[in-house]
Amino acid sequence: MSPAAVVLMYGLITALATGLGALPFAFVRSVSPRLVAYANATASGLMLGASFGLVAQGTRFGSWQTVTGATVGVIFILLTQRILGLYDIQFGRARGAGARRMVLMVVVMTAHSFSEGVAVGVAFGGGVTLAIVITAAIAVHNVPEGLAISAVLRPRGASVLACAGWSIVSSLPQPLMAVPAFLFVEAFREALPYGIGFAAGAMVFMVLVELLPEAYGQARKPTVALLVSLTMVAMVLFQRYL
Amino acid sequence: MDPTLTVLLYSSVAAGMAGLGPLPLAWRHRPPAAWIGWANALAAGLMLGAAYALTAVDSDHSAVVGTVGAVLGVVFVYSTHAASRTSDLELNRLDETSPEYGYKVLLINTLHSAPEGVAIGVAMVVSVPFGVFMALSIAVHNIPEATVLSAILASRGVKLLEAAGLAIVTNVGQILLAVFTYAIVEAAPGMRMWALGFAVGSLVYLVMVQLLPESYRQAGQTTIALVTIVSMGIVVLLGGAAP
Repeated sequence: MSPAAVVLMYGLITALATGLGALPFAFVRSVSPRLVAYANATASGLMLGASFGLVAQGTRFGSWQTVTGATVGVIFILLTQRILGLYDIQFGRARGAGARRMVLMVVVMTAHSFSEGVAVGVAFGGGVTLAIVITAAIAVHNVPEGLAISAVLRPRGASVLACAGWSIVSSLPQPLMAVPAFLFVEAFREALPYGIGFAAGAMVFMVLVELLPEAYGQARKPTVALLVSLTMVAMVLFQRYL
Repeated sequence: MDPTLTVLLYSSVAAGMAGLGPLPLAWRHRPPAAWIGWANALAAGLMLGAAYALTAVDSDHSAVVGTVGAVLGVVFVYSTHAASRTSDLELNRLDETSPEYGYKVLLINTLHSAPEGVAIGVAMVVSVPFGVFMALSIAVHNIPEATVLSAILASRGVKLLEAAGLAIVTNVGQILLAVFTYAIVEAAPGMRMWALGFAVGSLVYLVMVQLLPESYRQAGQTTIALVTIVSMGIVVLLGGAAP
């Protein structure tokens, strides 16, 4: 098998792992506004923690590039919000603001996967010997991202299977970007801090502009704050060991 | 300069900056609600940036210890709020004039300054430039925070100069805890990860429970999110220059 095909295959495995994030939601049946708030808070913590890790990685290449990327990420979310606002969105059984938030979540997480794919490809450029370690790390790292997506989709009426499906879709850019990044390592290494910044900026902004305000509106703030800060701390630890 | 003196100096600067908080009110005595929202969002972004900078500190020490410290930080702030019955206190009620509310607002601001002191103290141990960077981030953060406090005090008839004084007094705990944390962690390097974690956990929790929730209702979601992420980005950018 050619090295590029190996990279593609491993990228696909990491994408499939994202689907595992939907599993905990197989046990959630009743859907109350408070559950939406808790799920939002959990997703916020996971995304903030992931962004802290990304920014730390990006600033090693260059602070300015990372912050420039993040600015583009914020603008990207603002534009996507405006565009989605123009249409009457339906997502499964959900409509209106709920459906818009679901679509936005899938879009954000998919966009952020592009830079992860580049990171995988560039890492593979160091030699295929470390491939299994890197793949395992990214795959495990993808599970909480699937969890974050499912936390937003599931309480708004998406089935567990749909949650798993959309989680996997959101990671498909990983194999797709890993291959060209692997083949043209030098060019992509230059672009990496911008991509990492983009991913972090988009995720943090999504948390601040969509997930947190809704969570505060539907649950007591100490509960929301506890969930956000504890999941964030857990996510930071989780990334340290990968 | 003696290192402890450096900690004392910079944490005092941070606490003293709170005295600038009432300045916007000299221009407009009863500020529109949106100002309070912006001030809170600005303070929130600076604090999130500071928390990020603390997590990004490279350390040979165990990340598990840091995490336990962070959980302790979260639990500490949560329980001090619960014990003082300030968990659901809203820091934006300019029309509320009961003495109890006034005391609680002063109390919650005093509690808030403690984790900031820990952050400055431990950052000084990591390196002096990093400590100065942390102290200055907290110093700038203290200004909008004091603006919110002074707006509440001013609406109760407190003079601006007195409000400035009270704002500084509520931040004195910061100086004490900065020096205390610095001394402890210098003497016992094993405490470093505990203190780093504690600072991160408590700062993030404070942002989530105190600074962000009401601001969304005072100014639009998009405005608050933008102000927060821009001020956070500036701290990240400057932090990259002062490792």
